Amino acid sequence: MQNLIAFLRRFRVFLFFATLQIICLLTYVQYLSFPKSQFFTSASSVGGEFYSIKYAVAQHFELENSNLKLQKENIYLRKRLIKNLYQVDQNLFKIKDTTFEQQYNYLPASVINSTTGKMNNYFTINIGDMQGVKRGMGVFSPDGVVGIIHNTSKHYSVVKSVLTQNINIDVLIQPIGLYGFLKWDGKDPTRGTISGISNDLRIKKWSKVYTRGGSGIFPKGILVGRVEKLAPVEGKPLWNVVIKFSQDFRSIDRVYVIKNLLIEEQKALELDVPEDEDKPLI
Amino acid sequence: MKVIGQQIFRFVLFVLLQVFIFNQIEIGIGITLLLCPLYIMLLPFDTNIFVLMGLAFLMGINVDVMSDTYGLHASSLLLFAYFRPIIFNVFSPRDGYDVLKSPTIFDMGHTWFLYTFGSLLLIYLTWFFIIEIFSFNKMLYLLQKIFLSLIFTYLISLLLQVFLLRKTQKL
Repeated sequence: MQNLIAFLRRFRVFLFFATLQIICLLTYVQYLSFPKSQFFTSASSVGGEFYSIKYAVAQHFELENSNLKLQKENIYLRKRLIKNLYQVDQNLFKIKDTTFEQQYNYLPASVINSTTGKMNNYFTINIGDMQGVKRGMGVFSPDGVVGIIHNTSKHYSVVKSVLTQNINIDVLIQPIGLYGFLKWDGKDPTRGTISGISNDLRIKKWSKVYTRGGSGIFPKGILVGRVEKLAPVEGKPLWNVVIKFSQDFRSIDRVYVIKNLLIEEQKALELDVPEDEDKPLI
Repeated sequence: MKVIGQQIFRFVLFVLLQVFIFNQIEIGIGITLLLCPLYIMLLPFDTNIFVLMGLAFLMGINVDVMSDTYGLHASSLLLFAYFRPIIFNVFSPRDGYDVLKSPTIFDMGHTWFLYTFGSLLLIYLTWFFIIEIFSFNKMLYLLQKIFLSLIFTYLISLLLQVFLLRKTQKL
């Protein structure tokens, strides 16, 4: 017993250090895999409040730009309204439309905090549980895909952006229809890679990359970026396709959160798939 | 009492500076400005090691909460605080430290500050980026990040000292 006390006294500084250090590292590693502790995030009420104030100030410098962008999008959408179209066949019957059913709903939000220089970048947005945001919903902006909701609180949510290491969004290279998983290497916030593409395929430079919509997080056909170059993988017959993101993550402001109304149905179906087959990631 | 008030003010100032100014500056090519170690560095010479580590932990948690890094800052600041007395011992003057002086560039001279703060910052940044990147197959990028951040953080910390401490120097 006395030896133990002597030991504790002798190494008390180191033991104190080690205990605190273990707490830190545990939180860090745990949070990278699953968001348990609500306290350590900017989605917590105090941190979120601070960033709201910061955003309220910084927003004014961006107003003109973001208004222009929204106006352009409005014009694009307005053009598609029925009343702006000329009716070719004048004798249409009025029928109850059962061909289409709403699958995706969108919630508008603003990014109140974001980083691009780290290895894993998270954005904070100003809507949360109260607006029906849940973990795993997709987020995009008028320019392209942004990320996936990682954690929510009452008024705020944290978005795991495309600029994190294990994002794995399934994407589609058009017009050839190839698909793969989008990854980010942690260096350049304007470029990402699609790995695992066989090198006997010819991919044209600047062909567009869209979301594939396989996992039900994003609808099909949201722009991600354009193919910039093909880099060979050493020792394997594969390309690393480098793409340039269409969204500049350094100047991100307005985003939409995607609510998939049929996700439960899709997930329930996919549960029946036997284990050894490839499941869609994320 | 006056000293405690001053330290609390500095604590809040450094957290706010780090979160709202230095975290928002993103130059690219791996430069990250991390100024919170300067607060731990500037604490008086006779600060108890437990107080030192407690403050470092508290400050790290504060910065982490505000910037979604979940324990990254806390862990590396703690390491900085743990190594501070060790490095101070290595570079101590012949007849020990004068308790009335404080570990700043004005009191202790530039050479001393470069050696101590430089080596502490190197330990701190190495730990920080190793945990952040979490894999060893990006060695070159890791070294680039450590080296560039070290230079820029050191320069900014010199500037900050000039702004924060010049008044007390004149008194």
